[in-house]
Amino acid sequence: MPGRPSRRSMLAATAAVPLTGAVSACSGSSEARVSSTGKTVITFWSALRGSQEVVDAFNKTHDRIQVDFQQIPSGGQGGYAKLSNAARAGNSPDVATIEYPQVPGFAIDGVARDITDLVSDTLRAKLLPQALGLTTFQGKTFSVPLDVEPMVMHYRTDLFDRYGLQVPRTWDEFAELARTVRRKVSDRRLVLFPTDGMTQFAAYAWQAGAQWFDTSEGAWNVSLADAPSRRVAAYWQGLIDQDDIFMNAVESRQADAQIGNGLVLTRLSGAWDAGAQMNARPGQKGQWRIAPLPQWDTARPAVGTHGGSTFAVTKDCRHPEAAMEFIEWQVSHPDALRARLSSGTSSQYPAVAALIAVGRAAFDRSYYGGQDIYELFEQEAAKIRDGWVWGPRMTATQKVMQDAFARAGAGRGSLVESLRTAQEGTMPDLRALGLSTTQHTT
Amino acid sequence: MTATTQQPAPATAAPPTAPVAGLRARKAARRRRLAACGVLMTPFFALLVTVFLIPVGTAVYLSFFSDDQPGLGFGPERTVFVGLRSYAAVLTDPTFLGGLGTVTLYCLIYLPLMVGGALVLALLLDSGVVRLRAWAQLGLFLPHAVPGIIAALIWLYLYTPGISPIIDLFAKADITIDFLGVHTVVPSIVNIALWSNLGYNMVVFYAALQAVPREVIEASVVDGAGPVRTALQVKTPLVRASIVMVAIFTLIWALQLFTEPMLLNLSSPMISSRFSPSMYIYDAAFTRNNYSLAAAASVVLLLCTIALSYGVTRWTSRADAQEAR
Repeated sequence: MPGRPSRRSMLAATAAVPLTGAVSACSGSSEARVSSTGKTVITFWSALRGSQEVVDAFNKTHDRIQVDFQQIPSGGQGGYAKLSNAARAGNSPDVATIEYPQVPGFAIDGVARDITDLVSDTLRAKLLPQALGLTTFQGKTFSVPLDVEPMVMHYRTDLFDRYGLQVPRTWDEFAELARTVRRKVSDRRLVLFPTDGMTQFAAYAWQAGAQWFDTSEGAWNVSLADAPSRRVAAYWQGLIDQDDIFMNAVESRQADAQIGNGLVLTRLSGAWDAGAQMNARPGQKGQWRIAPLPQWDTARPAVGTHGGSTFAVTKDCRHPEAAMEFIEWQVSHPDALRARLSSGTSSQYPAVAALIAVGRAAFDRSYYGGQDIYELFEQEAAKIRDGWVWGPRMTATQKVMQDAFARAGAGRGSLVESLRTAQEGTMPDLRALGLSTTQHTT
Repeated sequence: MTATTQQPAPATAAPPTAPVAGLRARKAARRRRLAACGVLMTPFFALLVTVFLIPVGTAVYLSFFSDDQPGLGFGPERTVFVGLRSYAAVLTDPTFLGGLGTVTLYCLIYLPLMVGGALVLALLLDSGVVRLRAWAQLGLFLPHAVPGIIAALIWLYLYTPGISPIIDLFAKADITIDFLGVHTVVPSIVNIALWSNLGYNMVVFYAALQAVPREVIEASVVDGAGPVRTALQVKTPLVRASIVMVAIFTLIWALQLFTEPMLLNLSSPMISSRFSPSMYIYDAAFTRNNYSLAAAASVVLLLCTIALSYGVTRWTSRADAQEAR
């Protein structure tokens, strides 16, 4: 039967993976980490923009430790699979970049090592506690936050002026505004609900007081469809049902066109997106401003985060102290932030408070009409609601939820059902991993 | 055989020794045959062991063991025997069961269409109705030469609204058609598979039809059977063995549905990352990094395939036996 994938070859492909892992483990690359000149060489993987500039700056100022940087694809594009497979084969880099949602998963898999004792007290004191809380479990720290990204509202100030719109402060005002925009200009919408946006939805739920994962009872309590999440889902469902907003993937040409042609008036995303926007659409210079995310209750303001990265020392690292020295420099040294911002593509909000002034000085404000966006980020970062916990298999939860969002976008099912689907698709995974779990179904 | 004739045995010498010598010689010949068999079959068994038995064994092992940490999972890892835990997780996972359901639906549509379609085409070609038979055969077979992934890409292009000329054509006639919608996505995948494999199976049937004795057909014509009746009641029963074989291979192939949905997944929200069991296994291993779960799902799929193939074989052999009686 030429050309037919047989049952055998399929199974062989599935089952042989651990074997290939074992083979490449033998040819691991962890020998020559100390170079002949006595320097310690640290390997570093990242998908973050501006990392090369940061590494160059580090290598220029350090003699004893040299960093060997490798740009890898972003997590969803295969970066995390690459890291998992490398760890399985025993040749992961010394330092890896992991976004917040994936930290628990890599910690549980033993890829990110417990670095509680390596994080110095001075560094610990410098970091925003809400950020460090996201990488610390049962008193053990597994990675060091680089940036923390409160969700903000990027808006088209020129179009707001043209149509006489007010920047909304609450979600009620936001919904009212969405209706107004649709009535005034039928081809434009206030905002896009991203069908590939688990992280955006999580930030909305986080803000509203949801607790998708809770570890306080010594087990993973999963409740993706808790009352605040259902409230948020119902809110967005209402906007979708009335055709007041767009609903499609944000990582798509369609969304690029919506933003590029001014069809969508606001973008709700992390602070980092200010830099990404500058880089992607230089032609819209001066048209965007940034405002706080609308609130449910202005008396008790809160926000969630969207994006943000951390650095982990992996289990294969031979020189954890040197790796930690590089990480500490990268997250807390002014030169590191300056180098990153010099790439012109980043507007990261540092998790180390002392660097905010550096960011404010180094960031080119002209794109945002001179607005001091770092001051705004600082105000918003203070509102990040404490106690949020990401789950042990966030990439899987994300995929299932986004698949369900996409179906809802095509008219099958609703956002609330998507949350339940994601919960149902997450539980078997956690059970198969042998974790203690409890479930909160609503 | 040659050994016995070379024995220089005098004609009058003790007759009982001849059978003994013959026996010994036969034994030697059998040993040589066995050795030849062994040499010729070693590559097969070597491959069977390395690419089938060892991987299956590894998968079974992986499905029963796991790197566990108690509680929240942040403690040190140790490999423990977990019994049927991974199987319980797979079989209670709605996304896996949904995948099985999808594949069942796919088989129900695909199998009859494929077997029936290929048979009808082969009978048409065999009956001589079709002119330019060689060209027709080539045209039907050619898609099979296109690799599955390329085929899926071609069809992805034809199915995607906005770039597909077919959808544009329908749109001109005021017909809106969504090939990747809720109810159309499985038939769309069936269509790709049919396009790829119909010609191949047709050739199998055609070859079997060539082996049907001409006298039988002539006899049926003399008895007054028309071309349709000859095809359905004379030729078809005679190529039964090929039909069963094609059905089994098609079934096994269909249960592993992977390439087409994996690619269409890029452009249709109706195809999730765990659309079919094979996609579930891929997702479990490479997105979720959950090898025990992936291994358990693989074993479940293998068992389903074996059970179904065995069932089809048993059923047809029983039907054969009944017919013989």
